Amino acid sequence: MSDTAQAAPDAAAQNALVPVTVLTGFLGAGKTTLLNHILTAQHGRKYAVVVNEFGELGVDNDLVVDADEEVFEMNNGCICCTVRGDLIRILGNLMKRRAKFDGIIVETTGLADPAPVAQTFFVDEDVRGRTRLDAVVTVVDAYNVIQTLEESPEAVNQIAFADVIILNKTDLVDEAGLEAIEKRIRSINAVARLHRARRGDVKLSDVLDQGGFDLQRALEHAPHFLEDTSHSHEADVTSLSYEVEEPLDAAKFQAWIGAVLQEQGADILRAKGILNYAGEDQRFAFQAVHMMADGGFIGPWKEGEPRVSRLVFIGRNLNRPQLRRGFESCRAK
Amino acid sequence: MSDTVNDAMGPTLLERRGAIRQLEGHVTGCAIARDSQQVAFVTGEGDVVLADRADWGRADAWNVQTVHDGAILAVAPDAAPTGFLTGGDDNTLRRMAADGSVSDLVRGRRWIEHVTTWCDDKGKGGVIAFASGRQVELRDAGGHGTLKVLEHPSTVSGIVFDAKGKRIAASHYNGASMWFVQAKVDTVRPLEWKGSHIGIAIHPGGEALVTSMQESELHGWRLSDGHNMRMSGYPSKVQSMAFTRNGKWLVTSGADTIVMWPFFGGGPMGKPPAEAGGIPGVMCTRVACHPVHDIVAAGFADGSVLMADTGAQRILPVCMGGGEAVSALAFSPDGCALAFGTEDGRASVVDLSAR
Repeated sequence: MSDTAQAAPDAAAQNALVPVTVLTGFLGAGKTTLLNHILTAQHGRKYAVVVNEFGELGVDNDLVVDADEEVFEMNNGCICCTVRGDLIRILGNLMKRRAKFDGIIVETTGLADPAPVAQTFFVDEDVRGRTRLDAVVTVVDAYNVIQTLEESPEAVNQIAFADVIILNKTDLVDEAGLEAIEKRIRSINAVARLHRARRGDVKLSDVLDQGGFDLQRALEHAPHFLEDTSHSHEADVTSLSYEVEEPLDAAKFQAWIGAVLQEQGADILRAKGILNYAGEDQRFAFQAVHMMADGGFIGPWKEGEPRVSRLVFIGRNLNRPQLRRGFESCRAK
Repeated sequence: MSDTVNDAMGPTLLERRGAIRQLEGHVTGCAIARDSQQVAFVTGEGDVVLADRADWGRADAWNVQTVHDGAILAVAPDAAPTGFLTGGDDNTLRRMAADGSVSDLVRGRRWIEHVTTWCDDKGKGGVIAFASGRQVELRDAGGHGTLKVLEHPSTVSGIVFDAKGKRIAASHYNGASMWFVQAKVDTVRPLEWKGSHIGIAIHPGGEALVTSMQESELHGWRLSDGHNMRMSGYPSKVQSMAFTRNGKWLVTSGADTIVMWPFFGGGPMGKPPAEAGGIPGVMCTRVACHPVHDIVAAGFADGSVLMADTGAQRILPVCMGGGEAVSALAFSPDGCALAFGTEDGRASVVDLSAR
């Protein structure tokens, strides 16, 4: 399943897919509070919500579904391909009443590894055909996060997987503490959008309709990331980012990234990229979770926008120069 | 592949002998009563549409009523000559009598995703089974007396009675479980195979149990000795499968032809499947086997429906595509009607009786 050449829906078809927001976060970080905030806010939209703990939700919503987080291993040759079969079933059934909601929110348990949820969106043809993973949103408790990250690899994974991080309970920590926390979070995941909150009081526009993996937007929020080469703890989860200014050869890139994911997929939690393929007017968006990858054209480059290919890896034991050389070797001749 | 659907064949069977009605919402299932006198369609909006035999040609006479507060996920003929059972994402199991009256059998805490019934030839002894989460509950034909509740290791994705109603099997992660309906002490027969099993069928002679898998293949167990069978090569997941009446063939969706695995002459092990017609590039989404003749019906992703002869490679188009996928398909027990529905809400009945 490391085949990245699969045709993904184009930009217009992407918009017809139901957006799914995955909400993760450690126990007590404030996921339920945030969820209640989202559901009670006046946004004129209806969400179907897939939760684990029935009854915790304070709102009356007839589209709340109780899930069991049933994970299974795919027999597809990927050593780390675990999938949420219950989610395939639930999303499939929800799509039978498609007209009743505008989006779906999936809440995971505090200890959950986000990989099986994310991989579900790569693996199943019906899920891919009808929904799109809009964003993984991770809620972090500012008061406890530093200690939690020391003690729990799951918490590190939840941050590594995030497209959006909500730093919650910021009223319990002073400004210097918050800056230290943000620095620590950035050392794991430099591309996620980071927002501060007190009691889950985030702007909905910071959480919903994130448009998946718009890397350009992510990079606007982390301007220093590309220059920052100070990450040193190789065994820790870190983010590596690369740029190539010349157009890429699509076939070479597919072959290279396929091999990288096959060999190092267990250590690569996420990979994302916006690519400039030679001879193409459109941007190609690429993303991967462990060994599973897909991509598709997402519309033309903006007027005056530099046509630069950018690629980010978030993972462990990543070899910076080797990945750089590999990416650079994909330039079109 | 000798034939494909040819649209130069004049009016289709649906146009000549059928009726069609546009419903609100996705048709999630259809069933025909055991006495073959009434068709029920169910939808994602919670509606049940009843079509009496006298009205099969007049769709405007069909009775539509809202029965569930949410999508209907399962429908089966009742364990009696008339009526239907429906399960929904409002966590209820309901009974609908032939006159359209509705009663509650279950108000639970989880979606009721699968319902099936068994009834003897005389229409007297019967059993109702439904799946909700990891549990399968068996009830007497009256629907109010619980016979047993069977626990499974993960959510049940399909249930099926054997032809004699003696055993029930359920598919789930890592295999299937088989139970005796009347046993005093419930002992499971575990049939194990790693992976996510998403649907189930049983050979009418009790020779084999087959499941559909997430990895777009089928797995089977020969029930005499538990021998494993693997049937692969599908381009997509198999959502629908059915054995022919005599158990010779297992007919499935999942490809752009009707795929039929031979369950005779040593098959299906080591034998390639036969193909009974199809539509190039269009996936088959539903199949059903005729109860009397060697005929299969198949619905496709573009809304087309055709019938094929399992022996003679003849194809009869029932209705041309041009819409969304066929999501429900059933023959009546007497073989005189074919009912089908689509994701874009078309419900049809075709009268196949001799005229």
